[in-house]
Amino acid sequence: MVSPPAKTKGFMMAFVFNFPDVGEGIHEGRVVEWLVAEGDTVVEDQALVKVETDKAVVELPSPHSGTVLRLHAAADADILVGDPLVTIGEAGEKVPEDFAPVAEAAPAPALQPAEIEAPGPAVGSRRPLATPRTRSLARKLGVDLKSVQGSGSGGRITDEDVERAAEGGSPAAPTPPVGTVAATADGEVERVPITHLRKIIAGAMRTAKHTAAHVTHVDEADVTDLVAHYRRAKPVIEERTGVRFTLLPLFIKALVATLQKHPIFNASVDEERGEILYKKYYNIGVAVDTPEGLIVPVIRDADRKDMVELAAEVADKAERARNRQLGLDELKGGSCTITNIGPLGGVFATPIINVPELAIVGLHAIKERPAVVDGEIVIRKMMYLSVSFDHRYIDGAEGARFMSDMVRLVSEPMLLIARL
Amino acid sequence: MVVGSVSRGCQVVVIGAGPGGYVAAIRLAQLGKDVILVEKEARLGGVCLNVGCIPSKALIHVADLAHEVLGAEDMGLTVSSLAIDLPKMVEWKDGIVDRLTSGVAFLCEKNGVEVVQGAAEFVSDRSLTVSSEDGRFEIEFEQAVIATGSRPMALEGFEHDGERIIGSTEALSLQAVPEKLVIIGAGYIGLELGSVYAKLGSQVSIVEFLPKVAPDLDPEVGKALTRQLKKLGVKLHLSHRAESFEAGDPSVVVARGPKDDELRLEADVVLMTVGRVPNSEGLGLEAAGIQIDDKGFITVDDRMRTSAPGIYAIGDVTGGALLAHKAYQEAKVAAEVIAGEPAAFDNVVPAVIYTDPEVAWVGLGEEEAKEQGFNVVTGTFPFKASGRAMSLDATDGFVKAVADADTKQLLGVVAVGRGVSEFIGEATLALEMGAFLEDVALTIHPHPTMSEAFQEAVEAALGRAVHMVNKS
Repeated sequence: MVSPPAKTKGFMMAFVFNFPDVGEGIHEGRVVEWLVAEGDTVVEDQALVKVETDKAVVELPSPHSGTVLRLHAAADADILVGDPLVTIGEAGEKVPEDFAPVAEAAPAPALQPAEIEAPGPAVGSRRPLATPRTRSLARKLGVDLKSVQGSGSGGRITDEDVERAAEGGSPAAPTPPVGTVAATADGEVERVPITHLRKIIAGAMRTAKHTAAHVTHVDEADVTDLVAHYRRAKPVIEERTGVRFTLLPLFIKALVATLQKHPIFNASVDEERGEILYKKYYNIGVAVDTPEGLIVPVIRDADRKDMVELAAEVADKAERARNRQLGLDELKGGSCTITNIGPLGGVFATPIINVPELAIVGLHAIKERPAVVDGEIVIRKMMYLSVSFDHRYIDGAEGARFMSDMVRLVSEPMLLIARL
Repeated sequence: MVVGSVSRGCQVVVIGAGPGGYVAAIRLAQLGKDVILVEKEARLGGVCLNVGCIPSKALIHVADLAHEVLGAEDMGLTVSSLAIDLPKMVEWKDGIVDRLTSGVAFLCEKNGVEVVQGAAEFVSDRSLTVSSEDGRFEIEFEQAVIATGSRPMALEGFEHDGERIIGSTEALSLQAVPEKLVIIGAGYIGLELGSVYAKLGSQVSIVEFLPKVAPDLDPEVGKALTRQLKKLGVKLHLSHRAESFEAGDPSVVVARGPKDDELRLEADVVLMTVGRVPNSEGLGLEAAGIQIDDKGFITVDDRMRTSAPGIYAIGDVTGGALLAHKAYQEAKVAAEVIAGEPAAFDNVVPAVIYTDPEVAWVGLGEEEAKEQGFNVVTGTFPFKASGRAMSLDATDGFVKAVADADTKQLLGVVAVGRGVSEFIGEATLALEMGAFLEDVALTIHPHPTMSEAFQEAVEAALGRAVHMVNKS
């Protein structure tokens, strides 16, 4: 913890708490809600503010005890690391606005996950990289430069980029405020702000689609035996452990066993140094559909946990993901991801890789279908499994071998058990 | 004229003929608008041309010339005697002001701007009255641009009398060099005029409330300025609050220091430069529904629109940096917005202090960039390593480039040194064009010039300066 600021010559006693670097890769956030008001007395470690980052909503604790003299950012404001958040000092003390901000660095406080409120629009504070002429053109064509991807040197936005953006969208004059329903020539349109999380997802998806050479291999598994074993074991396990047992842990185990045989699917790439990073750990991301959008908590060391532990952990993390209560460390460090699309229907889907990972496995609906067994048409529980992988580093044949190994494991439960 | 008997109409009325107002009026006329420009004073040009930028720079130049000649013995130039004829100097300066202000009048006339003399006051959001010695009349307008500027701030206990307690206006027209000059406020005006009178022979003391000069700028700037003021024999009293004035012969300025200690400074003349306040009173802003902030500045958006539809405000009266060139740009934005063009103010604003050495900067300083979350890299080139600076006997100062360490984009430049005001425009262009360090490093700068230091500073930020040893 920081020692209280030194008292020098009657001024500069107040402490300016800047938005700290709360974790790897976090540069910006949004003030969700202030938990204190100007004039409030706070004690060290008391939660001051809820801030939404690209990973979670966190509460920032106060580094000092004192009186809140000034809140520097309004609710809904976008903040960058280093931006002043709050000035804490002695009651009645004047905020020394005439002096340069007190540059005392606060260490990153421990994160305290909190629940989410409805997020508002997020706007970057950096100037778009465009010349005055291009900026003028953007105004003329009604293009918001913050939403334009520059194609020029170093990401510079060119006149052509602006023109392209203008053709894509309507060259609207002043855009009406968000949250309003407005009549247009084509009918009524409601403008709703894009949430911070949605922007993060959009950025990640664009990066993934833009960089990885996506290809999807789909295979079919006969899971009749697996489901039969599962159905018999489920009530027993649930009664003995109190954990709601699902099929997902079985598939996580099958995935881990397959990854152990095909390590490239459990790797990432350091393109700058031209190296492949084979992970010796099996941290499996589990895609969770939440009301706010897709969140992927990570089940660490899935190879060293039994199925009941996996079931309990998946249930807990999915629940907390829906409530946006996950800590940043629970969302980082995955080596491969699994997404269970089955309950939502469909034949099969082609998910996008969670970069920098190289593969994502899709689980699709289990359906009774006619199958041919020993020359006879019988009704079996059939399921499509998919693996979407980065074709830059993984060849199609490897994808096929990977999938057929995983299919074999889930089709023949004894093989899966043998690998445990 | 009888009150209310005459009512005129025009498309746009511009109030105030300073750098903001006359530029707005001319640009509006160029865009085909029928414009009336209202000026309270007899002469156009505002503070900048009449009692600000231009006349102060004229006096600074003469003072610099005298100072340089007197200090040129090492260079083989000995002057046996140098007479300073202040009235002659002021007459020369007034000649420049005359030429420029009449030049503005000429440009207005040629562009078809009608100029009327008088004080404007809004009656509604579509009409105002103009009052002068000749009477009063009303103007009905479709749009209005407020460009009324700012004036020196007063300080309690120091009542302006124009002789013993003066402002910057009188300081530019003194008829004799005061023996003892006390300046209250170490802002850029105080520093510039303090340097002038120190060079002309005054014993100058500066009383400043804050603990350092140029507190918002790079710490090296304050150090360089403090060093030079000491060389000139200027006494700098920082962290001192000017409290009272005791008239006498000589008069005394009483100030209080950081330890509650009393400081008494004898003064023949006291120059007040404690800041500036907006000219937003007496304009009838309420009648037009125009909002001001708690300091009296008119609130505007990036298109210079006030809270009253159709009424715009530009320049000092809107706050921010009180600089003529910012007003110029805002004037063009307002005029173009009125003409229906998609203009907006989205520029970086360079700034210059005409001290000796000069200080110039644009964009983000190192600390500012860090506060905004940039991973910062800087490069500094000292003029003591510059051949051109040596040949000018002006090796004080440096150029410092601030950039984003990750993308290598240039974020800001600060320079201290002889003539740096002349190339900060280049750095401003670099910022507006979104230049990367490489862009500047690969641009040939003429040799030998002071501007080479900008290229070298940028190369230093890239770790490859040639004319100095790079930081490892």
